[in-house]
Amino acid sequence: MRNSIISWKYFLAAYLIAVPAMSETTINIAGWGAKSGPLRSFGVNSQAIIDAAITRVNENGGVTLEDGTKAMMAVEYYDSGCNAEQGIAVARKVASETNALIGIGPTCSGVAAASFGVFQKKVDDASDTGLQMALLTDTAVRNGLAKISQWTFRNTPNEPDMYDKLFAWVAENRPEIKTIYGGTETDQGHSAGTYSKVIVQAAVRHGFEWVNGPIEGVNGTIVEGFKNVLSSSSNWLMADTNFSVQARAFKKSGADMFIVSSHPFTTCGFLKELYRQKGMPKMLVGLTSSSSAETMKGCSKQVEGMIIPTSFAPITDAAKEVAALAEANGGAADLHSAAAWENVMIIKQVIESVGITGDPANLQDERRKIRDGLEALETTEGLLGTVSRVQDEGEALKPYVFVQAQSGNWEVIHDPR
Amino acid sequence: MEYYFGILQTLGFHVLLGYSAYILLLTGQLSLAQVGFFAIGAYASGILTVLFEWHIFPALFIGAIAAGCMAFMVGFPALRIKGLMLVIATIAFSEIVRLIFFNLRWRFEINGLEVGPDGAQGFREIRYFAANGWEIYEIVWLIWTMVAVATILLWWLDQIKAGAILRAIGSDELAAESSGINVTSVKIVAMACGGVIAGLSGGLYAHSTTYVDHNTFTVLLATFAVSYPLVGGLKSVFGTLAAVIFIQGILIEGLRFLGDYRTILFGALIILVMNFKPKGIVDENFVKGISEYLRLNKKLIK
Amino acid sequence: MVITSVDVIQSIIDGILYGSIYALIGVGFTLIFGAMQKLNMAYAASSIAGAYCGLGISAVLSLNLLVTFFLGPLVGGLIGILVYLVCFRFIPSREHLGSLMASIGALFLIDEIIVHETDGSPLNFPELGIFSEAYFLVGEFGFRGDLIFVLIVSLLAMTSIILMLYRTKYGLAARAVSQQMNAAILCGINPHKVNASTFFLAGVLGGLAGCLAAAAVGVISPLLILPLTIKGLIATVIGGLGSIKGAIIAGLLLGGFESLFLLVRGVNERDIYVFLLLFLFLVFKPNGMFGSIIDRD
Repeated sequence: MRNSIISWKYFLAAYLIAVPAMSETTINIAGWGAKSGPLRSFGVNSQAIIDAAITRVNENGGVTLEDGTKAMMAVEYYDSGCNAEQGIAVARKVASETNALIGIGPTCSGVAAASFGVFQKKVDDASDTGLQMALLTDTAVRNGLAKISQWTFRNTPNEPDMYDKLFAWVAENRPEIKTIYGGTETDQGHSAGTYSKVIVQAAVRHGFEWVNGPIEGVNGTIVEGFKNVLSSSSNWLMADTNFSVQARAFKKSGADMFIVSSHPFTTCGFLKELYRQKGMPKMLVGLTSSSSAETMKGCSKQVEGMIIPTSFAPITDAAKEVAALAEANGGAADLHSAAAWENVMIIKQVIESVGITGDPANLQDERRKIRDGLEALETTEGLLGTVSRVQDEGEALKPYVFVQAQSGNWEVIHDPR
Repeated sequence: MEYYFGILQTLGFHVLLGYSAYILLLTGQLSLAQVGFFAIGAYASGILTVLFEWHIFPALFIGAIAAGCMAFMVGFPALRIKGLMLVIATIAFSEIVRLIFFNLRWRFEINGLEVGPDGAQGFREIRYFAANGWEIYEIVWLIWTMVAVATILLWWLDQIKAGAILRAIGSDELAAESSGINVTSVKIVAMACGGVIAGLSGGLYAHSTTYVDHNTFTVLLATFAVSYPLVGGLKSVFGTLAAVIFIQGILIEGLRFLGDYRTILFGALIILVMNFKPKGIVDENFVKGISEYLRLNKKLIK
Repeated sequence: MVITSVDVIQSIIDGILYGSIYALIGVGFTLIFGAMQKLNMAYAASSIAGAYCGLGISAVLSLNLLVTFFLGPLVGGLIGILVYLVCFRFIPSREHLGSLMASIGALFLIDEIIVHETDGSPLNFPELGIFSEAYFLVGEFGFRGDLIFVLIVSLLAMTSIILMLYRTKYGLAARAVSQQMNAAILCGINPHKVNASTFFLAGVLGGLAGCLAAAAVGVISPLLILPLTIKGLIATVIGGLGSIKGAIIAGLLLGGFESLFLLVRGVNERDIYVFLLLFLFLVFKPNGMFGSIIDRD
């Protein structure tokens, strides 16, 4: 018995000598997203990339703590489905039952809208009993969510900016395109919100005309007249399967450019019907979320030529590497999941700049430190270049490129960086 | 700790939702309308606390009453039909309610912030509890007081004639009718009671999640509502309670460590339970076993 | 946009043609309900699962993708037998709610297995060869070739099922088990065997329906399951429980109304009107279009 204790101590001593600056603490972070239900691919992709990023950090020696020692990082990934109750349950579990310093997630904007609400709205408001742990979202992209709580941050693409630049570019390079028409899936907050409040306004701002005469109240300002945008368009729902009426309306409109703002399943269903009715326009513009592998799996032939602005494409060395690592981990890198890589790197950077001990006894203080550190960031290093932070809103302004569907792949057609 | 309190909240409103389906199942009617009443309660009480800045208690009360009135009004036409027809008619009702809230946009500024239901963007900022400094255990206490009251009432129902009448209709409607029971009005009353319970549950749900949107109130949740009493068994109100703990507590939360495989196991375990306990977990044998065990204990004490 | 009468008629045509998919699913529900007086909630899920398996097998063995349309029904039939075994065979037949709940469990199970295997992302589904490109123009009105094919298939399915029920020994046995189980057993009929055959038959039909639905949409996704379950049930109930003819007519009507309300009222209100109509129909005609007067639980 005695012997074994001694040998154990020797072993530990030898280990400590061999890795002198290695701290025994582990820096834990948590991730969650949809790993069940129809949006499972999002959770699978995010998890694959978070795992890859953590492995990379640890291979390079881990993260530097306050006292100068290095610590390994570890992540636990949870399935919160696309379900508000489960998203809240996981957020509570992570905040109160684990010593994770920060969370990455969730997938669905609806879950984000619900679970951000259980966080403390304003820091230092003692009367507010909400959760106090920072969250850095990779996927949920609906406009303006991070404002809900001062503890929630996002590293998601800024759609108003991207679509503004997209239509400026189209106006310059495709002068023959004059009129537009479009539709969205109205029961999806992100698709419908981006379409009616951002995309159409951006198009109008850059001189494109709605095909049946201008929509009342839409003058190019974000959000302005969005209800009329929806009622002037031909829309569908997320689980719809029959698009003949909508496709006919698109075809009848005869516009030069069609805007299709929906997720891959209905984007494909709709485009197949449009193709069948021989109503393909001169130009197609899609929603950021559709620039993914799912769309290509579903309808590479019909989506041909669609242009989408995206904050991720494997065009830099770093981005290519992440795409390869994701694939090796059984996922795919797209604009949503690639942000998870950046998030892990941002977290590492913040931990090193604010100084963390990793001691569970200081958990609450250190969570607060990380939050303040995130808020103070002005820029972060993204896979496509420098990302600026919109500090008071907790949002990001990410570099982007325009991609186009060309024979089964998303090819970069314009790179404004 | 916060996490376990959070789970207790979830269990709480699912138990109430299950009860609202249970009371109608006693009369032999499978209704998927409960989720519609749940949604009415959620939106109504949420609107009252957020847009009209009411206190939570009157808001919950009005939400429950609104849902109950709706149940009463729908019960009149709907409960003339039964069986599979009723299942479809109640799906239609729930979907109509869901789609009305999907189209509902009613927002104005309160304290410099535009709030209210916003169609597909959902209804955010139902933060009465957090904004008024309620600790999480106080919320749990509120929810479980409601659950306890509902449980006792439903248990008491089985001890008096009313419960016997409900079960009589459930086991043989024709016989019940010929012994002078006005079957349709009893069913409508059961429906209204179920509506009140579901509405209350919805109000509690909206306030503890702080956000609702139409995607919450789908046929899927309606299916869960009837699943609790069916899996738990109709013999006793405690069956529903046990089933909620089994489904929400063990299958959904407890098996989280299984990751992705948890949701697959979920369906398989329900099939398994129904094969071995087609009358539900808390069936006659179970009730008999428990009461014998208690009697045995009493004897031992003596 | 101005809605002309041409638009209205065209949208009704589109909808009725699409309704043939609802009709086909409705026939399957009806077949099982007619045989056992029980509801198999997992039916649409196993139909889509059949189509998935067909697609998967032909992709793995790199067969011609049209083989999917034969493999899908076959696997659908096998899944049908499996669902019968786990949800109906061993649960006492008087426990209606028990087997109903078990089949809901099977619905969740099948759905999640599909999600797990495909990560939930939509997959391209092979089109129906020459039918998919066919688009007939009659005057101002267009007709989708593939949906006309689906309609013909559902009518053929209806005819062959009715022939099978009234002209074969299996049909005699199935009807006997459905009407008087004990008497049927006394005549030497094995009711489990007969019921399993009915589930196989319905499963084959479902697998075919799943393949045709996926081919008509062009993509297959677990998102197809819930709408098809609800629409199939609606067709079954409006048609009058147990009436195959009724299920087909109801499915077509459902499609037509959906499409009409979509055109006139827009997508946000479409389903409100469809469900309102459904609710009123059930209240005023609780036995459906072709239902018998006896009320069933």
